[in-house]
Amino acid sequence: MTENAVEIKNLSMEYFDKERNPRRVLDNVSLNIRKGEFISLLGPSGCGKTTLLRIIADLQKPTSGSVRLAGQNTKEARLSHKFGMVFQTPALLEWRSVLENVELPLELRKVPKKERRERALEQIKTVDLKGYENSYPRELSGGMQQRVGIARALAAEPEILLMDEPFSALDEFTKERLHGDLLRIWRSTNKTVIFVTHNISEAVYLSDRVCVLSANPARLAAVEEIHLPRPREDAVLKTEEYFKTVSHIREIFEEKYNENI
Amino acid sequence: MKTYKKLLSSVLWLAAALIIWEAAAYILRDVICDPLAAKKVPGLLEIGASFLQNSVELMRQAGVTMSYAAAGFALGASVGIILGLAMSISGLCEKMILPYLLASQMIPIIGLAPIILGLFKDIAVSRVVIAAYITFFPVSVNFLSGLKASEENLKSMMRVYAADKCRLYSKLLVPNALPYLFSGLKISAPMAVTAAVLVDTLSSKDGIGYVIVFTLYGGGTTGQFWPAVIIAALLGLLSFLIISAAEYILIPWKRQKEEVRK
Ligand SMILES: Nc1ncnc2c1ncn2[C@@H]1O[C@H](COP(=O)(O)OP(=O)(O)OP(=O)(O)O)[C@@H](O)[C@H]1O
Ligand SMILES: [Mg+2]
Repeated sequence: MTENAVEIKNLSMEYFDKERNPRRVLDNVSLNIRKGEFISLLGPSGCGKTTLLRIIADLQKPTSGSVRLAGQNTKEARLSHKFGMVFQTPALLEWRSVLENVELPLELRKVPKKERRERALEQIKTVDLKGYENSYPRELSGGMQQRVGIARALAAEPEILLMDEPFSALDEFTKERLHGDLLRIWRSTNKTVIFVTHNISEAVYLSDRVCVLSANPARLAAVEEIHLPRPREDAVLKTEEYFKTVSHIREIFEEKYNENI
Repeated sequence: MKTYKKLLSSVLWLAAALIIWEAAAYILRDVICDPLAAKKVPGLLEIGASFLQNSVELMRQAGVTMSYAAAGFALGASVGIILGLAMSISGLCEKMILPYLLASQMIPIIGLAPIILGLFKDIAVSRVVIAAYITFFPVSVNFLSGLKASEENLKSMMRVYAADKCRLYSKLLVPNALPYLFSGLKISAPMAVTAAVLVDTLSSKDGIGYVIVFTLYGGGTTGQFWPAVIIAALLGLLSFLIISAAEYILIPWKRQKEEVRK
């Protein structure tokens, strides 16, 4: 029996517009995420992916439904540092060096200075930023800043990693390198990763399962197991199997889209 | 290239001002033959000579005014910072304080100075209090808006890592508000100096403002009037430069961004 890292039950979210009319963004989403699984939430822009991730991270409250992380509610999980988060933008503190930024979660957990330095340096090495420890965010490229954000999320060694379109602002080359890095880190640390994206091929390449979200309101339209071999190398990107899976998921989207008209 | 043009423009303005001044002095003295010419608009040479002659005394008086202004500024800035923090931490505090803060700025300083003097009966204390009164408002209001200006994303990040309120402030909100705080300090520093000069003129026995009135209404060496006015103006500028230097040292991350932009 595999334990569930995250259990999402009947989750709904409504925002109120200017006329105070409720607008449903998430509609009755239920999903169990296995421990150690790499799962993607795939959906068009504005469909509610960030909202879902923010509810899991206890950054906002759902209208109804519940989320439990390893048996705890979201607040308990947050306060006991169960998860780390990589944001859509790097979200770095501009007055702190790379090293100090990566150390921040450890500092907030009151980890002794020497230990947190060691752990931060290790994560900086993991994301290939050795030599930039003392640089400031403004001196780094967008891709490097995003990697600092990833190192920071890893430094706290959370069981669950929440990633909100971490690579969507990057160019193809940097993105592909970071995909490789991310899979390597995931394999070696056995974390549960919830990866939000609007890019079908990215979701297929990285994930064990892809959750397809429909828009207005977001419902779980389909959950697809990805049977590509692990460990995944760039070579997978040229296989027949990969193309088939990508087109299959594209078809699911087209169906959903036609339904909506 | 840009700095060169900036410098040239300042030099040209200064030269124009000096030429107009000298022309006015000449017309008053030699064309209109005003007997009070030397008092109203003395020639540049006379001003320079008087400046040198009285430099020790003028500097001493300037020092007196500056130290009162500095004490008041430090007091006002501290009060402003505390008020800004309090209003940011508690919404109730903001609702209670902010309207009165705004109202306090409706009272003109000219009218307030004699009241405060009457209240404290001591010119030294009054000078400090009025400089502080002038300072605290821009500092608290700017600091408050700085404390509110952190990106939503960064606040979420601090929340994900379970930062408590104290750490949220010390690690994100306060550092982020420093540039705002300094723009408040840069506005209020010259105002604190002006306030100190103004109170000098009321009933004190020293300070650069005292020199200005004393020489204006007879007594003393009339030649001291214009040098004293110039020094009073320079003191305001000096206070601004000191705060800017502190900003440059304390907020390196903003400084280098601007250098890159150039
Ligand atoms: N605080 C809010 N108040 C009102 N409406 C909101 C709020 N936050 C998000 N929404 C609405 O909820 C919907 C989903 O937003 P969300 O940010 O979750 O989308 P997303 O799937 O992450 O999009 P993207 O891929 O562009 O980041 C949007 O239509 C947005 O207008
Ligand atoms: Mg989003």
